[in-house]
Amino acid sequence: MTGMLLLATPLLPMAMAMACVSATLRTRMMEWLVLAPLPGLAAALLAVGGPPLVLDADGARFTLELSPPAAMLLGATALLWSLAGAYAATYLRDDPAKGRFAVSWLLTLAGSLGVFLADDLATFYLAFALVSLAAYGLVVQDGTKRAHRAGVIYLVLAVLGEICLLLAFALLHAATSGDSLAIRDAVAALPTAPARPWIVTLLILGFGLKAGLVPLHVWLPLAHPAAPMPASAVLSGAIVKAGIIGLIRFLPFGENLPGWGEVLAAMGLFTAFYGVAIGITQANPKTVLAYSSVSQMGVTVALLGLALAGGQVGWVRLAAFYAVHHVLAKGAMFLAVGVVAGCGGTRLRWVLLPVGLLVLAFGGLPLTGGGVAKLAVKDVFAGPWLGALSSLSAVGTTVLMVHFLLRLQLLGSGQPQERPAPGLVWPFLTLAAAALLGPWALYLGTGIGSLEKALGGAELWAGVWPVLLGLVLALGLHRWGWRLPAVPEGDVLVLTRRAPALLSACGDRLERGEVVLRQWPVAASALLGLAVLLVLAMWQAA
Amino acid sequence: MMLGTTPGGGLLAFALALPVLAMLLAFVAGGRQAGRIALAALLAGLVLSLAVATGVLRGGEALVLTLGGWAPPLGVALRADGISAVMLLTTSVVMVGTALFAFTSYSGDRGESRASLVFWTLLLGLWGAMNAVLLGNDLFNLYVALELLTFAAMPLVCLDGRAETLAAALRYLFFALLGSLLYLLGVALLYGAYGTLDIVLLSRLTRADAPTLVAAALMTAGLLAKTALFPLHLWLPGAHAGAPAAASAVLSALVVKAPFFLVLRLWFDVMPELATGLAPQILAGLGALAILFGSALALRQARLKLLVAYSTVAQIGYLFLMFPLAGAAGATLAGAWTGGMLQAVSHALAKAAMFLGAGLIAEALGHDRLRDLGGAARLLPMTVVAFGLGGLSLMGLPPSGGFVAKWLLLNAAIETQQWWWGLVLLSGGLLTGGYVFRVLSASMAGPAAAAVAVVSPGRQAVVLVLAILSVVLGLLPLASFGLVQIGRLAP
Amino acid sequence: MSTASAYGLLGAVLVGLGLYGVVLQAEPLRRILAFNLLGGGIFLLFGVMARRGAGAGFSGDPVPQAIVITGIVVAFAATALAVHLLLRLQVARDVPAPPEEPRA
Repeated sequence: MTGMLLLATPLLPMAMAMACVSATLRTRMMEWLVLAPLPGLAAALLAVGGPPLVLDADGARFTLELSPPAAMLLGATALLWSLAGAYAATYLRDDPAKGRFAVSWLLTLAGSLGVFLADDLATFYLAFALVSLAAYGLVVQDGTKRAHRAGVIYLVLAVLGEICLLLAFALLHAATSGDSLAIRDAVAALPTAPARPWIVTLLILGFGLKAGLVPLHVWLPLAHPAAPMPASAVLSGAIVKAGIIGLIRFLPFGENLPGWGEVLAAMGLFTAFYGVAIGITQANPKTVLAYSSVSQMGVTVALLGLALAGGQVGWVRLAAFYAVHHVLAKGAMFLAVGVVAGCGGTRLRWVLLPVGLLVLAFGGLPLTGGGVAKLAVKDVFAGPWLGALSSLSAVGTTVLMVHFLLRLQLLGSGQPQERPAPGLVWPFLTLAAAALLGPWALYLGTGIGSLEKALGGAELWAGVWPVLLGLVLALGLHRWGWRLPAVPEGDVLVLTRRAPALLSACGDRLERGEVVLRQWPVAASALLGLAVLLVLAMWQAA
Repeated sequence: MMLGTTPGGGLLAFALALPVLAMLLAFVAGGRQAGRIALAALLAGLVLSLAVATGVLRGGEALVLTLGGWAPPLGVALRADGISAVMLLTTSVVMVGTALFAFTSYSGDRGESRASLVFWTLLLGLWGAMNAVLLGNDLFNLYVALELLTFAAMPLVCLDGRAETLAAALRYLFFALLGSLLYLLGVALLYGAYGTLDIVLLSRLTRADAPTLVAAALMTAGLLAKTALFPLHLWLPGAHAGAPAAASAVLSALVVKAPFFLVLRLWFDVMPELATGLAPQILAGLGALAILFGSALALRQARLKLLVAYSTVAQIGYLFLMFPLAGAAGATLAGAWTGGMLQAVSHALAKAAMFLGAGLIAEALGHDRLRDLGGAARLLPMTVVAFGLGGLSLMGLPPSGGFVAKWLLLNAAIETQQWWWGLVLLSGGLLTGGYVFRVLSASMAGPAAAAVAVVSPGRQAVVLVLAILSVVLGLLPLASFGLVQIGRLAP
Repeated sequence: MSTASAYGLLGAVLVGLGLYGVVLQAEPLRRILAFNLLGGGIFLLFGVMARRGAGAGFSGDPVPQAIVITGIVVAFAATALAVHLLLRLQVARDVPAPPEEPRA
C-alpha cells in the first residue's frame, strides 16, 4: 500500500502530463492540477519509514524510499503544489497558453516530489533533472522579453548544475564498492573516496545552485518575479528545496569530513545576510520575496553545515523542519501578491492582515509557525557568536519582510469596489493558515520539542526582541525614505553583461576558421597528415 | 582453427540477399510499386535482424557463414557478432521508419515515378551495402561494401538535381573516394604482410611491425574521412543538409556509422594492440574537437537542417571517445564498449527523428530558417516534441539512451583516470542543450504559423516513434546490453 | 633489381603522383584522373603481392588477381559516377566552361 503511494507520487503528475497529448484534456487540465500532488501528501502522512520500493528489472533499479526529514518536506511541498495548483486554475483562466503551462507544471511537480523519494543515484538524477528543466516552462510562461531572459539564464545555470551533479555522481559511483547505485552506499563511500574534495565541491555547486547559495543565486531574483504568481510560489517554495534535500541526502552527516561543515555554514550565513542586504534595495515585491528566499535558504544551508561540522545527524531533521516553514510561508506570500493586485479599498486591509502576520512569523515571532521553526533550531546556533548571528539574521529578515509589506500595499488596485476572485483567496488563506499552524503540528507531533519549552518566558523574549528591533529599524528606514542604492535584479549578474558580445565575437572567429578547414586542399592534406601522425603514434607505442 | 558455418549462419545470407533482390524487383516493377516492395522487404528485414540478434544472444557467440562452404583464407566468410547484430537491428528500425515517412512523398502517384523509382532503389541499395559492411569478415569485401554504400548514398544527396546539391554530392564522392583508396592501400599492405584478409584469421596473426602499422594508419585515416571526423568533415554539412529529409536521416543516422564500425573492427578485432598508447588518444582528441567545434558551430547555424548536420559532426566525436577508454590498460572495459555502442544506436535513432522532423517543419513552413520558425510548435506539435526528445538523447539527459551511454563513458573515464574525456563529454552536453534549446524556443514562439503544405499526422507519428525509441533505449535493462560484448575477438 | 621490386616502385610512384593530384588539382576532371592514377598504383601493388604465391609452387597467388579485377570494376563505376555528376552539374549551372571547384 505504502509502496503504491510512493509510486503514485511522481507517476500521477506524469500520467496527467501525458494525458495532455489530447487537446480536450489539455484545456481542462488546469482545473485538475489541485489533485496531482495528493498522492505525495498521502505518502508523507502514511508512508514514512516504510520499506523501500524497489523496481528491479534486470539490474536497472528504481528505488523509492521516504525518510523522516524527506517526509516533512514532501508533505509541505505537496500541500503547496496542490494549493498553488488550485490558485493557478483561476489565475491563468484566460491565458491562451494554459495547456502548455499545465504540462510544464505537472512535469516540474513530478520531479519536485520525486527528489524526496528517490533512493538511488539514477532515479534521483532523473527527478532532479526533471524539476530543473521543466521549470523553465513555468518561468517563461508570460512570454515577455524579461521572462525570456530570465528563462535562458535559469536554463544555463540549471544545466551547469546538472553537469556538476552528474560528475559528482559518477565520481561517487566509482568510489562505491560493487555495482550498487543506492544513495546510502554512495554516501558511505564518500569520506574515504580518493576524489573527496572534488565530489563535495561539485555537490555543493550543484545543489547550492538550486538552493540559491551566493554567488549561484542569480537565477532566483530573475526567475521568480518573471514567472506567473502560482509558478513563483512553487519556484520559491518547492523547487529550491530540491537543492536542500540534495544536500541532506548526499552529505555524510555523522562522518568525519573535516572543514567542509564549516565552509558550508559560512557560505550559508553569508548568503543569509547577503539576501537581506540586496533584498531591501529592491522595489518589486516579488523580487524582495526572491531575495528573502535566498536569505532563508542561506540559513537552512548554514544549519546543514553546522550539522555536518558537529557530526550531529539529529540536526538534519531540524534543518528540514526549518525549511518546511519556508515552503508554506513563502508560497503563501507569493499567492498573496496576486490576491492584493486584484484588491482595493478596505478589503485590502483584510488581506494585508494575514500577510502581516506571516511577515512577523518570518522574523520568528513566538507562537507563530516561524517562531516555532526558529525555536527548534536555537540549539544548533549555540554559543555567543552563532546565537548573535542568528538573532541578527532574524532582525534582518524582519526588516526585509516589512519592506515587502510596504511595497506590496502599493500594488493594491486602488479601486475600492474591486474584489479578488474567490479562486485566488481560498488557496492563499489555506496556505497562510498552514504556514502559521502546520509547523506547530509537526513540532509537537514528531517530538521536535515540547509545549512547555515553546512557552517559556526566556524563549518568548528571545523570539520577540529581534522582531521588535527589526520593526523599529524598518520603520526608521521608511521614515528616512528608504534611500538605498538601486541594485539590479540578479546583482552580480551585471558582471556578465559583456559576455554575449564576447561570445558572439568568438563564434565569428570560429566560423571563419572552420571555412578554412573545409577547403579541399586543407582537408585533404589534413587527411594525409593524420595518416602520418597515426603511424608515428603507433610506432611509438610499439 | 578454421571458421565454419554456425547454426543460424544461413540467416546472414538472407540479410545480404533480401535488399539486393528487393532492389532488382523494385527496379523492374517501376515507380508505382517500388515503394510497396521496399517497405515489404524492409519489414521482412526487421524480422530477420531480430532473428539474427536472438540467434547471437541465445548462442552466446557470433554467427558465421562460410560462403559456398569455402573456409577462409581461400573463401570468404560472413560473421555477425554482438555489435553487428545491434547495428543490423538499428539499421532495420531506422530504415523502416524512413520508408514509412517517405512512403507518401515518393509514392510515384503524382507523375513523379522516376524520382520515386530512383529513391526506393537507392534506399534498398544503401540498405544492402550497410548490411554488407556490418556482416563482412573480409577486409577487401568490406572495401567493396563501403564503396557501394557511397555509390548509393551519393545520388541520394542530389536527388533534387539543384546545382548546389550536385556540388555537395561531388565533393562527398571525391572525399569518400580518397578515403576508400587510402583504405585499399592499407588492405594491399596487409595482404602483402599476412596473405589473408579475413578478420578472424588476421586477429591471430597481426604483429606490430612497420608494414602493419602503416597499413593500419592508412586504413584508419581513410575510414575517418568517410565518417567525417573533425577536421575531415568538409563534405558532411552540405551533403546532409542538402539531401531530402528522408535521405538525410539515413545518411546521418546510419551511413556515417558504417566506417566508424570498421574502425572498431580494425582497432579492437584485427589489431587489439593498437588501442593502447598515443594513437587512441589522438582519435579521442579529434573526437573531443569534433564535439566542441561541431556543437558550437551548430549553435550558430541559421538554418535548421544545417544545425542538425553540424550536430552530427559533433555526435560522431562522442563515438571516438570510447577508443582510449575501452582499450585502456590493456584490459578492455566492458562499460566503455557498451557506452560507445549505445551512443551509436541512440544517436542513430535520435538523429533520424531530428532530420525527419526538420524535414516536416521545412515542408509545412516552406523554409527552415531558424529565425522564422515561430509557430511551428502549434502547427506540428508532435514533430517539435519528437525533436525535443531526440535532443534529450543527444544532450544525454535521463532517462534517454544517450544518458546511459554518456554515463557509462563517464564512469570509464573516471575509472581509467582520464577525467579530461569526462569533462569534454559534459561540456558537449551543455553546448548540445544550447542548440536544441534554440530550435525549441524558436519554434514555440508566436502564434500558429501559416502552413504552405499539410503534413499528415501519420508521418509525424513515425518521427515521434523514432524519438521515443531513442529515449526508451535508456530504460532497457542493462543486462541486455551484454549483447554487444558477444563474439569480440580481443581477450 | 628484380621485376617485383621494379613493379613495386612503379606502383609507389603512381600512388604518390595520384595523391599529389588528388590533393592539389582543383579542376574536377583532373582530380578524377588523379584518382584513377592512385587506384592504378594500388592495383599494381596488389599485382606485386600476387608474386608471393609463386614461392609455394604456384605460378601466382590468385586472390590478389581477383581483388584487382573487382577493384577495377569499382574504380570504373566510381569514375563513371563522378563524370556523370560533373556533367549534370555543368548542365544545372548552365555554363559552357568546365565548372570551378565548389567553394566551401
